[in-house]
Amino acid sequence: MLRALYSSIAGAVLAITGCILQSSFRNPLVDHHILGIGSGALFFTYVTVLIYGYNPSMVTLIAALGGLTSLALTVLIAEKISGSDIAYVLAGISVTSLFSGLATFTMYYVQVKYPYASVLMTGSFILSREEQLPYTLIPLALVSIGYPLLSKRLNTLMLGDENATQLGVNPRLTRLLSAVIAGLSSSIIVSLFGLIGFIGLISPHIARFLVKTSDNRLVIPVSASIGMTLLYATDLFSRTVMAPMWGEVPAGSIVSLFGAPFFIALLISRFMGRRT
Amino acid sequence: MISIRSLRVVYKPQGIEALREITLELPVNNVTCIIGPNASGKTTLLKAIAGMLSYEGAIYIDGREVRSNIRYLRKILSYAGNMGSSVDYLGARVIDILLTSRYPVAKGFSDTEEDVEEVHRVSKALGIEHLLYRKISELSSGELQKVVLASALVKNPRILLLDEPDTHLDVAGKSWLSKYLEELSRSLTIVISTHDAVFACHTCNYFVVLSSGRVLYSGWREELIQNKEYVERAYGISFINVEVNGRPILVPLYES
Repeated sequence: MLRALYSSIAGAVLAITGCILQSSFRNPLVDHHILGIGSGALFFTYVTVLIYGYNPSMVTLIAALGGLTSLALTVLIAEKISGSDIAYVLAGISVTSLFSGLATFTMYYVQVKYPYASVLMTGSFILSREEQLPYTLIPLALVSIGYPLLSKRLNTLMLGDENATQLGVNPRLTRLLSAVIAGLSSSIIVSLFGLIGFIGLISPHIARFLVKTSDNRLVIPVSASIGMTLLYATDLFSRTVMAPMWGEVPAGSIVSLFGAPFFIALLISRFMGRRT
Repeated sequence: MISIRSLRVVYKPQGIEALREITLELPVNNVTCIIGPNASGKTTLLKAIAGMLSYEGAIYIDGREVRSNIRYLRKILSYAGNMGSSVDYLGARVIDILLTSRYPVAKGFSDTEEDVEEVHRVSKALGIEHLLYRKISELSSGELQKVVLASALVKNPRILLLDEPDTHLDVAGKSWLSKYLEELSRSLTIVISTHDAVFACHTCNYFVVLSSGRVLYSGWREELIQNKEYVERAYGISFINVEVNGRPILVPLYES
């Protein structure tokens, strides 16, 4: 079934982008959603629909660029503040609020042209259609290229920029490449299925906890399978258990339900000085 | 083996001149020590030799200029500085750090048997084998210091540059490190920086005294101890010469 396939791919892609973003920014608190990529991509999706109608290739392209723009904005603000991990979270929250405000605003106009626009706000696979398949495969292809290319480089980045340089890895180039791959692929997923937060944040943490290492060669595939399972299971739960009882609840909101407490716990543990 | 010609390093945005007119020949298979007060350019000199920053002048290692042979150098030269307390290791274990530190010499995507063997050999030699599967964030600063040293050794370098390898080590640790570096220097060229004159005199044969980015003195230990006024001038305090086990040691005199 198409829905199962899409939710699995989306889960895997978002989990991998979470791994890539966390290691390249050396920050366990981030994923595509927290860094503002999600809401940026969503806003640009709406704008594209508003101008061109629902033209899938145009939406994919502009949403991807929008996601990258918002990521760049977050990085600029965070580096301006202090560049610390908390600064990235704060900058990400402000960029997210900016673009989700803009997105909510435009959504009312978009709905006239594209009645399903509101579905993208929470992230759902209700609208899975066959013609989305090629666009779903692009992000999957991107992260599949990124995995062998970046894993070992990202491992050296975790030792600090200085040590990475010493080992012959260019930290800035690696970070840029990681941001582009993770930004593009997560933006495209958002343009297709909407905002799905926390999958990208928690899957890498669960993976690191399970395999007891930080080695991205292992963490990335394990995290991908966790993200895939989580999102597939959530969507399955939504359409089989919840749908007959009180109507279908978007997968994205169920994920937030258990993702948000996890994020809070992560924040608290960091402020208590414990490293996760 | 390491020859430095009219080296000058300027840190770009502020235009601070960290090193100037440095011309040096550092001996092969020896422990060379760079001493000098804070901000005298010790770390900058080590990083320049490691090809980690841009500079004017030239640095030759085995007759090859550092900047144009950087790929080759990454394989034969290790630099170990501070791991940085701000670094987040995302739950990395010691073995992850050590395997990653073989990056320039490791072939392919997966770890080979050789990679794993090297890591075990080095950690056994440093007595940190029991720490291999511990998380970096759980280590004491002394243990971390040994992991940093191990990370520099796992790629089996011929040249080892260590920035203050003795900080965070207790007296027993320093004594062990001193002996270990001396042993290593039979087959390795080692350059270290330190603030501890006693540790330096025990460990190093060749000395470079830096002050405000310039070389005040360079020479073998015995000559330096004869000319201790250079060290005194660099630090602005007096040193006395004490003999320990037949070896002359410089000991700083605190102002009273």
